[in-house]
Amino acid sequence: MLSTTAVTAVTVGALAACGGGTASQAAAPASSTTTSAASAASKSSSCTPGATPLTFWGWAPGYQQVVDEFNKTHPDICVTLEDNGAGVAEYTKLTAALHAGAGTPDVAEVEYLELPSLEIVNGLVNLVPYGADAYKSDIVPFAWGQVSQGSAVYSMPGDIGPMAFYYNTSLLSKYHITPPTTWAQFAADAAALHKADPSAYLANFDPVETQWLYALMQEAGVFPFKYSGGTNVTIDFTGSAQMAFANYWQSLISAGDINHTSDFSPIFWKNLDSGVDASWLNAAWSPADMAPNLSKTSGDWRAAALPQESASSDVAGSWGGSTFAVVKGTKYPKQAAEFAEWYGGSMASWKILSSPAAGAFPGYTPLLNSSSLTNATIPLSGTSKPNQVFSSTAAHVASIQWPPFMTEALTEGQSVFAGVLNGTETVPQAFQAYQSALVSYAQAQGFTVSQ
Amino acid sequence: MAGVTAPPSRPMLGGFLTRATGTGPGTGSRWARLAGDHRGLLFVAPFILFFLAFMLAPVGYAIYTSLFTSKLIGGTRFSWFANYSQVLTSGEFWAGVERVLVFWVIQVPVTLALAFFFAVIFDLGLAKLGRFFRLVFFLPFAVPAVVASVMWSFLLVPDFGPYARLAAALGFRGTNYFSPGLILPTVIVIVVWEFTGYNMIILYTALKAVPKDVLYAAAIDGAPLWKVILKVKLPMIRPAVVMLIFLNTIGALQLFTEPMILATFQPQAISFGFTPTIFVYNTSIGNGEYNLGAAAAVVLGLVIFAISVGSRAFFRRKREAA
Repeated sequence: MLSTTAVTAVTVGALAACGGGTASQAAAPASSTTTSAASAASKSSSCTPGATPLTFWGWAPGYQQVVDEFNKTHPDICVTLEDNGAGVAEYTKLTAALHAGAGTPDVAEVEYLELPSLEIVNGLVNLVPYGADAYKSDIVPFAWGQVSQGSAVYSMPGDIGPMAFYYNTSLLSKYHITPPTTWAQFAADAAALHKADPSAYLANFDPVETQWLYALMQEAGVFPFKYSGGTNVTIDFTGSAQMAFANYWQSLISAGDINHTSDFSPIFWKNLDSGVDASWLNAAWSPADMAPNLSKTSGDWRAAALPQESASSDVAGSWGGSTFAVVKGTKYPKQAAEFAEWYGGSMASWKILSSPAAGAFPGYTPLLNSSSLTNATIPLSGTSKPNQVFSSTAAHVASIQWPPFMTEALTEGQSVFAGVLNGTETVPQAFQAYQSALVSYAQAQGFTVSQ
Repeated sequence: MAGVTAPPSRPMLGGFLTRATGTGPGTGSRWARLAGDHRGLLFVAPFILFFLAFMLAPVGYAIYTSLFTSKLIGGTRFSWFANYSQVLTSGEFWAGVERVLVFWVIQVPVTLALAFFFAVIFDLGLAKLGRFFRLVFFLPFAVPAVVASVMWSFLLVPDFGPYARLAAALGFRGTNYFSPGLILPTVIVIVVWEFTGYNMIILYTALKAVPKDVLYAAAIDGAPLWKVILKVKLPMIRPAVVMLIFLNTIGALQLFTEPMILATFQPQAISFGFTPTIFVYNTSIGNGEYNLGAAAAVVLGLVIFAISVGSRAFFRRKREAA
């Protein structure tokens, strides 16, 4: 039974299109939002005999080059990269291996949201005894917070996805709209744009892309979860602030001022390229995904800060991002920790990770704040420097706590929000359904749930 | 029959063995007879082992797993039939069962009717280049279901795909083949496309085996062609048709691959429990609730078993009545 489902999961993962990684969202598990490749195990060729052998499970593009670089500069360690699927496909295997007590890798790529799920089953090794604290000052604060629990650090932060308002400047200036600074202004601009051109929309709203929805809620200050280990968890999709958020987006959908197609689908790219969608509320890694799919609007795209709740607030959200964790059961925790820390916390690693081949956006502050990153230009954005916006918002990302059942939450989210995309359900209704589904799941799992 | 003759059911090899050991037929030593009787078992042993290990053992394990409940807080506990009552009262699960039954009732007759129609045409030799077209019709079956689903996902892309444009040209602007109203017909079309060729080849072979003298007799009696086809040929290939109904039914009730792959491209089109097998997959893998998924799988297995046994009894009774 497990082998069949594993094969199916690998097959689904292997079909992930390079346009954003959501392709492995079967009606089930959502995948990482960083792009995914589908290669099988790759053996590093630059290993010296007698070196400590390590296995590293990772899916994001460009990782083989980083691993090769590590093996070259650390001849006493030999790391082998294995692609066991993207996101949930890999977490399923990891959880099964931990359960069985065999077959676990030494290091694994784990997104921030999945860390509590692995911590609760005691699946990760605390990196503090292996010198992790030395890297704290080199990592952007919100990312460090998400890999820590109490005084322990369970993973090395890797890339992050700070969000911005990425807009088509020629389209917005055609209708005399400047990037809105508040959500109220955003709603007004959306109405104005749609009135001036009924075939165009200010942005797209796809809640089936649930990780994106969570990032927006983080930015709006209405993040629905609270969890700091143990048996108590707070789930709140139906509080007044959350419902206000839901009603806000529903009002835009009901008025027809906002588009609702599936993110990363062929129609979605077409809409961005043909002036149907004037912007995409996206993350720092998104332009790399957009570039191969757009041609007509190349050079027109600019980044600006996302609208805020009020003119004086300055909160950001982060969509996606991965960390590098040492898995319990490793025979060589010291070397595994050294690899994980080098991977997320060295310029040598980030030089490759931030190159166009890998396209990751660093949580590593020496690169994040460097002028080489902030002054970088891409053809999609013409002569503007979008990383200046992405980099500065990274410092303002709100700290949040993920609950230990995100796989279930994301699976459920795809089902629950499908009605919104289809137009058969309102966002508030979906939030209610989501709340009851998550609460009953958490209670069934033995948690004490506050709402 | 008096005399010392070997029992008619003794396999030839067993007889050889007794002759080789020098004992006479019918009076063979106990050893020889045991060895002879169990020769057959040796031949089926590989399959039996495979069947036990990969078919029965997993079913047993699933039943065992379904009697427990695992919680993140509190570990695994024996919970009798708690999972079963959760599955049996799950609206999501039964919606999937209903959907798959509707799928079955439409897909199987359509596939078999089309397959029979084309098999008859080829059998009558009406088509030029019959062999070539038989191969072409069979090709969809040679395409793996995953590949076929990916291909159809691109063909049916709303607004920009060729079929959406065709619909618009015919006056049905804005056709979304993945909308809640059209998703099931879309899946039916894909599965019919995949399996008609396979069913057709089987029926064609069965038609070719119909004895010619029966057909000559019908021709001499002056029966019109449609009567020959429906009242003479079809009843004579009944065993093949019944077998195909069986195979198609089991496949239809286990529908999984095509909607799962469609969901990769159109996640909002396929719900958590779109089909019972997808419900089992999402519960087990998506939610990590393996115990609940095992219970759902057992319930699904029982439903399919009931339908299979029921239809076999139905056909047997029909045959006896005929």
